[in-house]
Amino acid sequence: MDPVRLRSTLRAAVIVGGLLLATTLLIAFLEGPMGVDNAAMTYLLAVIGSAALLGWTAAAVTAVGAFLIYDLLFIEPRFTLTVDDSREWLTLLLLLVVGMVVAWLTGALRERADTATAREREAHALYQVSRVLATRTDTRSALPELESILARETGSGRAWITVAPGAGKDKRAKDAVPVDGRIPFSQGALRRRADDGRPEWVRLHQSAMLRRADADTVAWRVPIEVSRRTIGSVWVERPRTDGEPDVAATQLLSAAADQMGQAIEQDRLLVEARDAEIVRQGDALKSALLDSVSHDLRTPLASIRAAAGTLLDPDMQLSVEDRIASATAIDREAENLARLVANLLDLSRIEGGALATDQEIYELDDLLERSLERLRHRLAGRPVTVSVPTDLPPARVDAVLFDQVLTNLLENAAKYAPPDAPIAVSAAMAGPMVRVSVEDGGPGVPRAALPHLFDKFYRVQQRGDGSRPGTGIGLAVVRGLTEAMGGSVSARRSDLGGLAVDIDLPVAPRLESEPMAMADLARV
Amino acid sequence: MSDRAPGSPDGPTLLLVEDDEGTRREVARNLAAHGYRVVEAATAAQALVAWERDRPDLLLVDLGLPDRDGISVVRRVRREGTTPILVVSARGDEQVKVGALEAGADDYVTKPFGSAELHARIRAVLRRAGGQAADPVGVIHNGTVSLDPLSHQVHVGDHSLALTPREFRILEVLLREPGRLVTRGRILRAVWGEAYQDQDHYIHVYVSQVRRKIAALDPDGLLRDLILAEPGVGYRVRAA
Repeated sequence: MDPVRLRSTLRAAVIVGGLLLATTLLIAFLEGPMGVDNAAMTYLLAVIGSAALLGWTAAAVTAVGAFLIYDLLFIEPRFTLTVDDSREWLTLLLLLVVGMVVAWLTGALRERADTATAREREAHALYQVSRVLATRTDTRSALPELESILARETGSGRAWITVAPGAGKDKRAKDAVPVDGRIPFSQGALRRRADDGRPEWVRLHQSAMLRRADADTVAWRVPIEVSRRTIGSVWVERPRTDGEPDVAATQLLSAAADQMGQAIEQDRLLVEARDAEIVRQGDALKSALLDSVSHDLRTPLASIRAAAGTLLDPDMQLSVEDRIASATAIDREAENLARLVANLLDLSRIEGGALATDQEIYELDDLLERSLERLRHRLAGRPVTVSVPTDLPPARVDAVLFDQVLTNLLENAAKYAPPDAPIAVSAAMAGPMVRVSVEDGGPGVPRAALPHLFDKFYRVQQRGDGSRPGTGIGLAVVRGLTEAMGGSVSARRSDLGGLAVDIDLPVAPRLESEPMAMADLARV
Repeated sequence: MSDRAPGSPDGPTLLLVEDDEGTRREVARNLAAHGYRVVEAATAAQALVAWERDRPDLLLVDLGLPDRDGISVVRRVRREGTTPILVVSARGDEQVKVGALEAGADDYVTKPFGSAELHARIRAVLRRAGGQAADPVGVIHNGTVSLDPLSHQVHVGDHSLALTPREFRILEVLLREPGRLVTRGRILRAVWGEAYQDQDHYIHVYVSQVRRKIAALDPDGLLRDLILAEPGVGYRVRAA
């Protein structure tokens, strides 16, 4: 008999013996000094006691013991099993029968209560496991929490979970070596019985190398299976003397392992779906990019080759003006190409998350003036108005990115609005942000297109007025750069009739005014 | 491979360091046609050899070289001499430009550049190499602006300009190096010292205030381009 069972049997024997002794003394007192005629039924107290404390087997043993002791000690002739008085037989028989019935009833009651408690505990533990899995972002990150729940709820020294690195892929779990380098010297594993699928523990035979006589703990392993493939294990470590996990713990471990298997499988499916979506979007992006860029790349290239061809042609008698015109065309179209490439590079930096901003504090009117000055020749002849309140606080921006944003917006306005349409640039406070607005008096865009203007490669469907189509890149870059600076962008219909784009940027506290005392500087 | 391009033997000698052969040939031809003697180099190693041998009057260095960082060429040349250096870098590499300027480069042009812009920069850098910002009594003049570092007086035309101490220092630092691109870092060190304070982020706001105060005394707009911003890099005062 294994030491665990022996110990619990001894404990039960001591309790039963104690109860019988106490009751016997009580009966001796009742039937002797107190003069009670027949106190045999007092033994039922002992039966009930052992049923409540130990269960129905112990209660049955108590009933039989009570029967024998009463016969030996209290019925004439004493110290024999013989019974003289046939009425005493009835007492004894009743004692035995009632004792057995009480033992059975009380024992059943106790077992039911125990089962209910265990079920409730198991359900609660399983609920905790489910909750952790349900609120997880991915299963692996939830493992430590699950480990502590399982260790606590199964009364184990510790619990740990191992999952094969490529879980879900066709790989077997390489989890025989548990965490923190401690190899359990003795193991038991949970298996499903082939016939009814009920879990049962199997002791595994370790190689002689691993087995150690002084090992005082046993690791119990519950495989995590997904469609009959083992992808990992739940381990609990218990003292050798505790024996195998009880039914409740076993069921909890088994159910938790099943849930984890499902969760890991869900993770895998999610990742696969996401990967597929990324590939799909990537393909869609590539074709949209090719579609929109090819026109804008080809147009300037065609102009450049045509102009260079003119210059190269030995048969053409070119005046100085002709040469200048061709060279100017090459220069202008090369500039267009450079701008397109710059925007594409910006877009890929935004997409790749490689955009590092260098934000400092600037007066917006200065920045606006700089950009407009640089763009003067491209806005040639257009009525451009700038209005910035004198008390506008400074903004926290990256000057290079801000210039790119403004350039794209102004070029956009210049591209789509007729040459005489007004363009207005303004800045004002808008809530906690400072808002820069670029508006034009052009034809504008349909209201339905407004929310999509800043989407990559989005192009407003134009009614064939021969206007040059956009690439759907410029405004996407505007949004990307603005958001990189901690701002936001939106579009609306302008009071001028065309499109208005609002750029909201983070504001900086106004500079404290510095004393004018020049005398402080006499150290120079 | 470095060979002398045809050109006027009297013109300034330029060392052109650029790894792309097409660009290099085209730029060299253009510069030679404008009277410069051009020495070409395709790598940092060739550049240093050519610099020792030909002692050019100006270096034009592309920062993206195949063998070594262009900045290392700048550092090496700057360690041994004051030859003006113009660096060429791609757009968006503001940090690289600042790095080159702090390593001792005099100015930069951004690729792709037009030839007019390149000539303007070369002329400005060459002129500055011999130039002197202050007159014999130490007063710095630039157009109608004059700044006296001793009395802390700034005049725009006949009017006295009221500046705060920091504004004055910033203007002084810039005016002392007309035509030169002064990085934000240099202004900070000169005005705030090595221990930057919170307000160093406001350097651009200070510059804006200086510009505004000057503009108020300059109704004809003669000084509109006195202080030019190079976004992400620094400031430049127009050549005196």
